[in-house]
Amino acid sequence: MSGTPILLADSVTKRFGANQVLTRVSLPVTERDVVCIVGPSGSGKTTLLRCFALLEAPSEGRIVMQGVPIATANPDRQVKSAARAVRSDIGMVFQHFNLWPHMSVLENLIEAPMLVKKMPKDEAIAIAEGLLKKVDLSDKRDAYPARLSGGQQQRVAIARALAMSPKVLLFDEATSALDPELRREVLLVMRQLAQEGMTMLVVTHEMGFARHVGTRTVFMDRGEIVEEAPGASFFDAPKTERAKRFLQQFEDE
Amino acid sequence: MFKYQFRWDTVWGSFDFLMGGLEMTLIISAITLVLAMIGGLIIALLDMSRFRVLRWIGVSIGEIVRNTPILVQLLWVYYVLPIVFGIRIEALVALIIGLALYQAAFISEVYRSGIQGVPKGHREAAQVLGLTPIQSFRRIVLPQAIRMTLPPLASNFVQLIKFSSLGAVISVSEITRRGMELSATNFRPLETFTFIAVVYFFICWPLAMGIRFWERRLQAR
Repeated sequence: MSGTPILLADSVTKRFGANQVLTRVSLPVTERDVVCIVGPSGSGKTTLLRCFALLEAPSEGRIVMQGVPIATANPDRQVKSAARAVRSDIGMVFQHFNLWPHMSVLENLIEAPMLVKKMPKDEAIAIAEGLLKKVDLSDKRDAYPARLSGGQQQRVAIARALAMSPKVLLFDEATSALDPELRREVLLVMRQLAQEGMTMLVVTHEMGFARHVGTRTVFMDRGEIVEEAPGASFFDAPKTERAKRFLQQFEDE
Repeated sequence: MFKYQFRWDTVWGSFDFLMGGLEMTLIISAITLVLAMIGGLIIALLDMSRFRVLRWIGVSIGEIVRNTPILVQLLWVYYVLPIVFGIRIEALVALIIGLALYQAAFISEVYRSGIQGVPKGHREAAQVLGLTPIQSFRRIVLPQAIRMTLPPLASNFVQLIKFSSLGAVISVSEITRRGMELSATNFRPLETFTFIAVVYFFICWPLAMGIRFWERRLQAR
């Protein structure tokens, strides 16, 4: 790890009422990092990701992008305007795709560039068509989301996130809602992005992806980061008892 | 009953008179629907307002209107409003105001469930992509909400066609009132009111079926 992290969780605590979901979690993400966050359900992985996505505000601590705080417990004007400025630099892919059903695939892709970046329509369309080609869905350009399979919808969702040319892409269990035979096509796209140098933060149950594609694996349990190791070494030599127990469930895979 | 001699000719003889009433019924229903859609929007906005007082007003209007009989409301608008404000209200105007208020209270709920029916994730996706809350509401929430509210609004129209018959009580010359007048002169209530019931049925039933079909198609998408 070298230089300022592009995105950083700085001692983030998150409470929902009396329920403490994250406890002083610190996690730096450097450029070209593919950080995979694994752990049992209810460990706070998704909440951490949602804090990075600015969908949840931390109860304590801060989210910092390239040295600038963009989320705190009580954001002042400066933090809020910093958040607005970097908003679309942080892309997110959701477990349930969240494509807009009343828009065609192409319309889903050009909406944000045109509204947020004020991009001319033909330029937005040109970029969108390039991205659809990349995720191998050029023929679905004018289809509506409901006509697509889950795997296709998720690939469109990835293309939609990419259309804003984010600096970091967050994946929230992007394959969990998919049938096993559809996961592969999504994982292939994610792997390709990683190889192209996209900075990614991936909450996942896909241990194969974490082991082979991830540059770092972060193991969370009960709202804390328990263990952190580069690439495959987390899988080959887990240090903590909790991590070993967690990994045992995947031994058949 | 067995020996009853049907005299349908008494109805056919006044066919144009009754159809004029039907025209009135449909016009009243259409005007009222438009007003109720606007009123419903106002009540819904009050309900979802940031300000407590406005919310309270919206909720109160809705609860009062939904929990008193429509006929009493009509009588109230027709007889009480003139006393309170010292103005004469035409029966037709009173009917439209009364019905519109009543339907507005229900339509506001239709709007609310339409807006709240758009999954939170759709808004979150917009938020993450950088859309402002207003952009997200206008481009993502509203188009979906409108699509979901169209069939219930059409059902409201059907309801209005039926409810507008209450105008007969305050002597608005719609089809039911004309039926009452006709049967008072031809002494043939059986033929007259049967005919009127059939007319209502063959207008409302196809509409209701069409709406059901439409709803099913929207859900399939």
